[in-house]
Amino acid sequence: MADPPLLELRDVTVRFGGLIAVNAVSFRVNKGEICALIGPNGAGKTSLFNAVSGNVIANSGSILFRGEEIRQLTPHEISARGARRTFQNGGLFADLTALENVLVGLHSQVGSRFFGLLFGRRSAAAERDATARARVLLDLMGVGAIADQKAGALSGGQQRIVEIVRALATNPPLLLLDEPAVGLSPPARQQLADVIRRLARERGVGILLIEHAIELVMSVADRVIVLTEGRKVADAPPAEVRADRAVLEAYLGHA
Amino acid sequence: MAGASQGTGLRRLFWVIPLAMLPLPLWLNPYQQYVLNTALVYVPVGIGFNLVVGNLGLLAFSNVAYFGLGAYTSGILTASLGLPWWLTIIPAAIVGGIAGFVASIPALRGVRLFYLAIMTLAFGELMRWTYIRWETLTGGSMGMAVPTATLFGWRLDSDRSRFYAFLILTVLVVAATDRLLRSRFGRAFMAIKDNELAAAAMGIRTDRYIVLTFAWGGAVVGIGGSMFAISVGHLSPVSFDLTELVLQFAIIMVGGLGSLAGSIIGAAVITVLPQIFISFPGFEELVFGLLIILIILFLPRGLASLLARLHPAFVERYYRG
Repeated sequence: MADPPLLELRDVTVRFGGLIAVNAVSFRVNKGEICALIGPNGAGKTSLFNAVSGNVIANSGSILFRGEEIRQLTPHEISARGARRTFQNGGLFADLTALENVLVGLHSQVGSRFFGLLFGRRSAAAERDATARARVLLDLMGVGAIADQKAGALSGGQQRIVEIVRALATNPPLLLLDEPAVGLSPPARQQLADVIRRLARERGVGILLIEHAIELVMSVADRVIVLTEGRKVADAPPAEVRADRAVLEAYLGHA
Repeated sequence: MAGASQGTGLRRLFWVIPLAMLPLPLWLNPYQQYVLNTALVYVPVGIGFNLVVGNLGLLAFSNVAYFGLGAYTSGILTASLGLPWWLTIIPAAIVGGIAGFVASIPALRGVRLFYLAIMTLAFGELMRWTYIRWETLTGGSMGMAVPTATLFGWRLDSDRSRFYAFLILTVLVVAATDRLLRSRFGRAFMAIKDNELAAAAMGIRTDRYIVLTFAWGGAVVGIGGSMFAISVGHLSPVSFDLTELVLQFAIIMVGGLGSLAGSIIGAAVITVLPQIFISFPGFEELVFGLLIILIILFLPRGLASLLARLHPAFVERYYRG
């Protein structure tokens, strides 16, 4: 049997009280694939995304990560399994430097233990290794120069890239990006698009992306999933989705 | 941040500070010695409080509960069971740690900000009520006498002798907390304080860190309580009221939220300053109060931020002054 898909959603439903935010949505994201989730405001994109990252527990259906059910797991468990997310409004720790942010991303791999620290065992080696790795990662993504600046003082574009580097620090096979292009200038969007493409092509990272910037979606996505009123109305390559009537209706509203 | 790494070598020099304090009793009169001892008592008390409020960023005001429980644990174990004081330090830390764990339960269930503040405040008051009511053990509102402390058979019957015991305990607490704060734990605390959701998304078990910080904070404050018990020699519930809480809060605010050096400086300033103003009879509270206001006004991140600007050696890895 072939490997299971990286991420597979089967009939995932998310309800908030009487409101059905996500209604029996199914789709897959494969290794190295960039999958964009689009739709009008209130379509259920963020709820679906939160269900995958564990910030919301889906009421029914199945969320399989590398063939394993993760629907009821907590965010840190899902993160530890290798599905890591970024946040819409910037989830960087503003008081920490870019480098320290990436070190938080590597948290689980800096193996110092509480009582070990109290009673003498030093964790300097693990800390040094992690720091060296974090620097390399920042360099690779072209933001090495700002490694020692406070994250809160970086430009929007730099922040977004540092946040992606932080999420990627543990080499997760799946990256969940929540509106990474919001508030970015056109050149910064271009740089972001390059980073996303490289991650998928060169490192085989599967990417699930929520994005309103439609030109970014069309230029990077291998597949576009359109949600409207909690339902999936399209799941196809960008060119096909662009020509789809249902999609136009979703965006323009029903007559 | 190059300054921070530059400072790490010089940091070893900090060991000189407790060493330099060793001959102090030769010059201090008994009262000054008592004030210095009190400052040392408040170092672990400030450190434990600051970990939860300053580093983790949770508004938990149950610090006096751990302080009182640590003090009464040592007091009761020495008075009723006749244990030597040094054997009661660990139990005081354990009781303080358990109290910290209990106080963390609302925070674990998602209670934050003012709601957490009032719940933890109530916990402290509940403990005070317990000391008053549990007369057989605590002597009720009349209080209880704490027998002279002994350390490995050596009687700590003067402030001078207690000073050395306190200095050793304080150095141990400071050194252990320093290691903790410079490690990934200190980083995780900052991450949690800044953005809990993002911290969890990075694989940090935020609930575990909350419990750990409350428990370690409670244990450290419990040690401070144990020191307090033998320093004053008499425990009564009024020592653990809201005024005491305000004093402890002033220590970390004046010293610097989230700064280990801040806890130490704050403890020293808040205990020593009122003694200086005793020479303005009738005005000491006024002068003291004004001074606190001025410090917070001009140094909102506390006196530690001033220190950090002085020299890179004073820059703490995860304290942003």
